[in-house]
Amino acid sequence: MRHIDWPLLVVSSLLLAMPARAATRPHYGGTLRIMMQSAPASLDSIENANAVANDPAQSSLSRLIFDTMLSLDSQGRPQPELAVAWQADPSHQRWQFTLRDGVRFHDGSPLTSDVAAAALRMSNPSWKVVPLGGSLVIECPSPCPDILAELALPGNAIAKGDGQPQGTGPFAVGNWQPGKKLTLIAQDDYWNGRAFTDSIQVDMGKNVREQMLALDLNRADVVQIAAEQAHRAAAEGRRVVRSSPVELIALVFARDRQSPEEGRLRDALALSIDRQSMKNVLLQGEGVATGGILPDWLTGYGFLFPVDADLQRARQARNEVRVSPTWTLGYDASDPLARLIAERIVLNARDAGLALQVSSAASTDLRVLRISLSSVNPSIALASAARSLGLPAPILGGHSVEDLYTAERGLLLSQRVIPLLHLPVSYGLSGSVRNWNQDNRGIWHLEDVWMGTDKP
Amino acid sequence: MLRLSARRAGDDRVPSTALPVASLLTTLLRMTIRKHSIDEHSFIQRPVYNSRVPRMLDSTPRHLRVATVVWGAFFVLFASTLACANNWNAPEAQLAQKIAAVTGPGAVAVGFSNRSSLPKNEFDDIRRGLLSEMAALGLRFVPPEQAAATLQVTLSENLDSYVWIAEIRSGGGEFSAVMISLPRPEGASTAREAAPLIIRKTLLWSQDERVLDASVVDGNPSHLIVLEASKVSLYKLQDSRWQPEQTLAITHARPWPRDLRGRLVLRKDHLFDAYLPGVFCKSSAAGALTLTCRDSEDPWPIGVDPLSLNAFFAPARNFFPGVLVPGVGKQTTAPAFYTAAALPRENYILWLLAAVDGQLHLLDGVRDQVLVKTGWGSDIATVKSSCGLGWQVLADRAGEGSTDTVRAFEVADREPAPASPAIEFDGPITAMWTESGGTSAIAVAHNSETEKYEAYRLAIACGQ
Repeated sequence: MRHIDWPLLVVSSLLLAMPARAATRPHYGGTLRIMMQSAPASLDSIENANAVANDPAQSSLSRLIFDTMLSLDSQGRPQPELAVAWQADPSHQRWQFTLRDGVRFHDGSPLTSDVAAAALRMSNPSWKVVPLGGSLVIECPSPCPDILAELALPGNAIAKGDGQPQGTGPFAVGNWQPGKKLTLIAQDDYWNGRAFTDSIQVDMGKNVREQMLALDLNRADVVQIAAEQAHRAAAEGRRVVRSSPVELIALVFARDRQSPEEGRLRDALALSIDRQSMKNVLLQGEGVATGGILPDWLTGYGFLFPVDADLQRARQARNEVRVSPTWTLGYDASDPLARLIAERIVLNARDAGLALQVSSAASTDLRVLRISLSSVNPSIALASAARSLGLPAPILGGHSVEDLYTAERGLLLSQRVIPLLHLPVSYGLSGSVRNWNQDNRGIWHLEDVWMGTDKP
Repeated sequence: MLRLSARRAGDDRVPSTALPVASLLTTLLRMTIRKHSIDEHSFIQRPVYNSRVPRMLDSTPRHLRVATVVWGAFFVLFASTLACANNWNAPEAQLAQKIAAVTGPGAVAVGFSNRSSLPKNEFDDIRRGLLSEMAALGLRFVPPEQAAATLQVTLSENLDSYVWIAEIRSGGGEFSAVMISLPRPEGASTAREAAPLIIRKTLLWSQDERVLDASVVDGNPSHLIVLEASKVSLYKLQDSRWQPEQTLAITHARPWPRDLRGRLVLRKDHLFDAYLPGVFCKSSAAGALTLTCRDSEDPWPIGVDPLSLNAFFAPARNFFPGVLVPGVGKQTTAPAFYTAAALPRENYILWLLAAVDGQLHLLDGVRDQVLVKTGWGSDIATVKSSCGLGWQVLADRAGEGSTDTVRAFEVADREPAPASPAIEFDGPITAMWTESGGTSAIAVAHNSETEKYEAYRLAIACGQ
């Protein structure tokens, strides 16, 4: 005689009554239409290393055309790409990488250790890179335990040839009008499986308003959405996807402090800034107020850096200095958000008794800068951020979370930078885009995207 | 006891399988042990053992002594079990040592906060553990106005680790922070079952690499064959577990397409054939088991005896273009499809094709009937049972998402009707094939939480 567990049945039935989501097998074919704001003049990720590192859209494009030796997964763990195995000597100064067999560049030529070595020598002049049969040996000038994360950066992509470099990525360049249009064609013999879409069309240099209009008129499938418009776009029924907060908006001084008095004035400015109201008013609640360079989700200690304004202490610090100069504050004139933030900082500073003057000149005392997280490896990301902000290289005493904190704190104590906000990268998607896949840095993985015929 | 020592050796990961009951008991035990000796604002006294008083032994009745021994043994066993669930001792001690290195022994005020995904009971447990460790290092817990330093301990986390941080402010206003990190475990998954005409779901195998198909070879011992992109793995059933026995490499010249698919078919004259896009592999018929693979455009078998049918598979795609061999009656072509299921009728076989266009096509040898809104996904399979109409179609559900369901349907005429509750999977179904023999199907789900591929055997059981 069968026994039915009625309570289990009731619970199961209730569970089954809840809406279930499921998978439909992906379709091959179609063209994905993308619009982006930046307008790169070159596709060479080595030549454009800084721009690529600081723009998730350019970084995403690079990895469609070029492969790297390794990639980092969502938890920052290295995964094989063109290198299938690796080992280091005990000092982590000499590394050997075994190359994947059977990989071809888009011009049909095979990937060899000679070509890979030449590419890595080009992007890393300080490394000694030697081909060794089907392997590569890299010797760093000093121990380089983070080399696996470095090799995952788009700046270390394996490319061949000058002018229009050839890659081994899932898409080859079909048509390229620098700064305007790019057509990418799926490679049937891509070593990691052909992408689902046949091609990708990228329209460059489009401002966010043009992009939103194109999405609404079904002339684009993927558009960038400004952080301050993401909430509204979603509320109006558009499909909006966001990354983790990866973009840092910071105030950066052009030079080191020249005296202890200047240090006090910089303290006063940092204490006067009301980040929360910037977030709530200027960004419509988007993003996270931050006192650190790296986002909290990457380090776990970001909350240790204070973010709250303290006008009383700011005034006290200001009053400790007899004369306060008028600082000029610059921003990117093409960035409306940067202008709003600069204006808000001037008001906050005035409340503390500091005089700031907004300027669109190229050279100013301090500047509102926006940079993106270059890696999910925090050590690499901190070093890259310091470079992009014009700060000295962080001093990492080791590889523990405490060493990282000490290095980041050191950069902040230099008083060259005042972090303000971390913003997510947001994209609007058309109803045809399926299996959209972006990592926590907002980098697209378009080889897995496929085009549906109806709304999801 | 062995389990205890193994846990302690690892000591840096939370036991993902720790039962809530064990966790609760751990908390209770730690509360009873610690709460009496430690309070955040009370002076800590280290426990000491008294010497035994000899005459006391004689005064205890024998039955009480036996009871004491039994309870003592029970307590030791109980405590050992609880200790298995508690795995925070090493990081607690590590952070306490770092704190004590800054503060030295003395009076401190301490506060705790949890910014991590740790549940409250674990957080409370860690809080008590840290207090205990700090107390052992000479820290006394007092109200802030009496403290030489204040501590704010925060349990935080980043991409892959827990980060435990102590902010220390000395009486002179000096600030320092000490921290440790420890790997964060991945979540555990659960499975559910349901009734009346019920799909029985049995987990056969789970692994990180994508599973294309799997098959159980009944025998003594039974074997499990798992088809992957680069190899076929054989496991032997021993002590109720699948033990690795042999691995056979799959060789192929061309790169695999994305959304790779493959099928295992058990054979009578040799163990199995494996079909992959553009590649056919055959196991040896005699002697040591080997696998020979060759480039092949041969059609794949898509049914099972006696409902056999073959279809060509697009070598660089994830679907069958629709060329059938020998065909369904007069029909030798069909729309491109992902999977097929056969239902025997009195005079013919009705073939259901989950087509690439999202529609369900019914081929009876003469007509191609299209059903548009079935809500079925891309994976369907036939299963023979002793229930209902005798043959059911298992189908996953259309859509996108982090979970999936499979439900049994019966097709009395042409309209599929649900015949069972749906069973849920913790990730999308990536493969579903009828097993050789036809009485069960293999469904592979990609668990969205653990990222593992899980191969299940699905069979129909009759409800009441």
